[in-house]
Amino acid sequence: MKLTRRVILSAAVAAAMLAQPLVAAAQDLPRNVRLVIGSGSTGGDTYQAASLVADALAKQLGVNIKVDAVGASEAFKAVGRDKRGTTIMLHHDQSYLASLYGVAGSPDPFEGFVVGPTLAINPGNAYLVAKNSPYQTMADVLKAAEDGQKVRVAIQPGGVSEIGFSALKSAARATAPGSEENIVAVNTGDQADKNQAMFDGLADMINGSIQANEQFAELPDDDQKAMRFIWITATPEALEQGPEAGVGNMTRADMLKYASPETRVPRPNGEDFTFDKEFFLIYNKDMDPAQMETVDAALAQVFQQDELKNRLLEAFFIPDYRPLAEASAHLKEKRDAYAEIIGNLTAQ
Amino acid sequence: MFEFITPMYVFLIFSGTLVGIIFGAIPGMTATMAVAVCLPLTYSLGLDNGLALLLGLYVGGISGGLVPAILLGIPGTPSSITTTFDGYPMAQRGEGEKALRIGIVASLVGGLISLAALFFFAPALAEFAIKFSYVEKFLIILFALTVMAALSEDMLMGIFSGFLGIFISLIGVYDVTNGGNGEFRLIPPGTEYWLEGGFSLLPVLIGLFGLATILEAAEAGMPKGQSLKDIEVGAHSRFSRSVFKGQIGNLVRSSGIGTFVGILPGVGGSAASILSYTATKTASKNPESFGKGNPAGIMASESGNNGLTGGAMVPLLSLGIPGDATTALLIGAFTLQGIQVGPLFIGNNPGTWSSIVIAMLIANIAMFAIMYFAIRWLAMVVAIPKHILFPVILMMCVIGAYTINYGIMFDVWTLLIFGVAGWLFTKIGIEVAPFIIGFILGPAAEIYFVKSLESFGTLSIFFTKSWIAVLLWVLIAGSVAGSVMLARRKAAMKEAEG
Repeated sequence: MKLTRRVILSAAVAAAMLAQPLVAAAQDLPRNVRLVIGSGSTGGDTYQAASLVADALAKQLGVNIKVDAVGASEAFKAVGRDKRGTTIMLHHDQSYLASLYGVAGSPDPFEGFVVGPTLAINPGNAYLVAKNSPYQTMADVLKAAEDGQKVRVAIQPGGVSEIGFSALKSAARATAPGSEENIVAVNTGDQADKNQAMFDGLADMINGSIQANEQFAELPDDDQKAMRFIWITATPEALEQGPEAGVGNMTRADMLKYASPETRVPRPNGEDFTFDKEFFLIYNKDMDPAQMETVDAALAQVFQQDELKNRLLEAFFIPDYRPLAEASAHLKEKRDAYAEIIGNLTAQ
Repeated sequence: MFEFITPMYVFLIFSGTLVGIIFGAIPGMTATMAVAVCLPLTYSLGLDNGLALLLGLYVGGISGGLVPAILLGIPGTPSSITTTFDGYPMAQRGEGEKALRIGIVASLVGGLISLAALFFFAPALAEFAIKFSYVEKFLIILFALTVMAALSEDMLMGIFSGFLGIFISLIGVYDVTNGGNGEFRLIPPGTEYWLEGGFSLLPVLIGLFGLATILEAAEAGMPKGQSLKDIEVGAHSRFSRSVFKGQIGNLVRSSGIGTFVGILPGVGGSAASILSYTATKTASKNPESFGKGNPAGIMASESGNNGLTGGAMVPLLSLGIPGDATTALLIGAFTLQGIQVGPLFIGNNPGTWSSIVIAMLIANIAMFAIMYFAIRWLAMVVAIPKHILFPVILMMCVIGAYTINYGIMFDVWTLLIFGVAGWLFTKIGIEVAPFIIGFILGPAAEIYFVKSLESFGTLSIFFTKSWIAVLLWVLIAGSVAGSVMLARRKAAMKEAEG
């Protein structure tokens, strides 16, 4: 057959018609969407949450969604460049905490972007001590600081890992002014570094997570690597929505013992400090609002079905869908509360 | 117990290994990229089959880097840099096929020795690994940096080149999340947007080795490709097993070094082949022959970098901590399947543990089978006329640079900048090998140095922390003394010749 212009045009029209049903579900959105995440790792919870949500959303919208682990800085740049809706971002509370802690190159997402719907909570953020540590509870830690003992806490500065530390300092200050000076940060890097700081005896307490550290808590007491949970920052409401069997040998009931109100780290206003690590979308501020509505509507539908919810729960995430407007207001309120804690410590 | 071994499982390992070899063989594409691209597939494949695919990609990707390193002088992956030193000179004198066969056999030996170490000693090695704090890790990096002198043509220039590499690697922000102050440094005003994270390694590497080579060839006038007759077996030197005579020690030592570097999270895979190569060169009775096409150099480099594969799995499966960038991606496969990795992983998941070990064993065999029998065709690359080959390489370099960080155009500019810089380096005597070693190891050296001081507060800790630190100082002193002696011997030989 000769390849005339007519044949080529006919083939193109046929191809377009064949593709039509696929794009029908999401006329507002481009056919290919890039979901950049604020983590550069594909081994962490951000990639895991993004994969699960992207998979469900892609099916619902009839578009391709590719998750790219580019890291926060590059993700903000990529979303900032693209107002067509081809690139959207998924990140968690780190996105605004980094800005509150003044990390260079961290924009305020509420200023230059649209902070979109929330998707899921990872309730695993936790603090641990060595198995042979004298500290049994957070009250012991605060008492030690009050008595003039240095408590060294290994954190990755500038975000989620630090906010619990700031809350602890704030609580020490509220309990016994001046004792917050005895809560000292050991600035490390990733989880491996934080664990190593404990193995080396450089830290009395480390930031970690239920998922990453639960097996270390199962080790026998005489093992150099053995740890014990002392504080889980998630709200009890979030933990109660998780699977009853928990993670590994740690049941939901065990987890609740380390969380508020059983384990208390008070804020200056007397309420308990809690922190749920929430994952949400971030859009370019000039992106067509109709596209955001399309995503919102699709998310509302997938979160009504059991498939995504079950997959999230299996991976120890709590489904947490809130539409754009509600989520934005909720996250701003959360940001303001943490800004107050950080601001008070800085002002001091 | 072995019910996971199905035709699909074996097929996925073989196809993963093949794809991994292709990724490793294309300059700018790495095992890490191959695993990242295929990671989402693992959810639908299930854990055993998903791991089979990823481990095939991992072993293939690490091994494939030797092909362009030997045939084109362009390391397919950062861990193949030292393979270029002796592999490329061999290819230039018509021994490309022999060099490839040596590299593949050494890769197999390295992979199998490290796999045996993983299988028999994983928990014990993990216990040993946690004895390495920031201080010991800094000293290992420092030890690897001392090899800059041994790898140089001119010691003084080599050291300068290495320090220049370190200097360039520190451009950007010392990230707060890594314990830095978050300030921009060494950046011309107005370039913060692009240089915030500094220059990416892969574009720098392929610029210096790939583009610079093409520019040099363009300057010299386009050479013709080698004749097919030249690369036939026996044209210049036939491969035979006798080439490994007296090299068992080299292979075992290099595989051991690769495994050891692999079990230390954060030290980096490139250090494995650099340290193996230098150890072999230093131990050799004829160190001057290294860098000129000595087969022992290829053996050291390739058994070292494949030794990394089993080593890097040790902390992953015994502590839940990845040993290198690629095994960090493997954690994704576990988390996507809801499997916890940590100190109890092996005991709690005996089936998955067996599946991993067998997948790695089959992947190593598959790598050997695929590459060994494809050599004849692979070696023909050098027969392609350069006016066709070089544009294709350049295109692959650009694609590799663009995709390495998921589509950042500045990485392509980085490739071009360092391609031109590499070409200029040859004009002014700056040596590329020590430069790139400094560039690779500089950031890790800074982080571990600063964290050591932050944690312990005194410089004396580098000498008093542990017996491991003392031993590392002995090795560093030995390496420096060896380099000085080597430089003197070279100078004396030059004088005698002159």
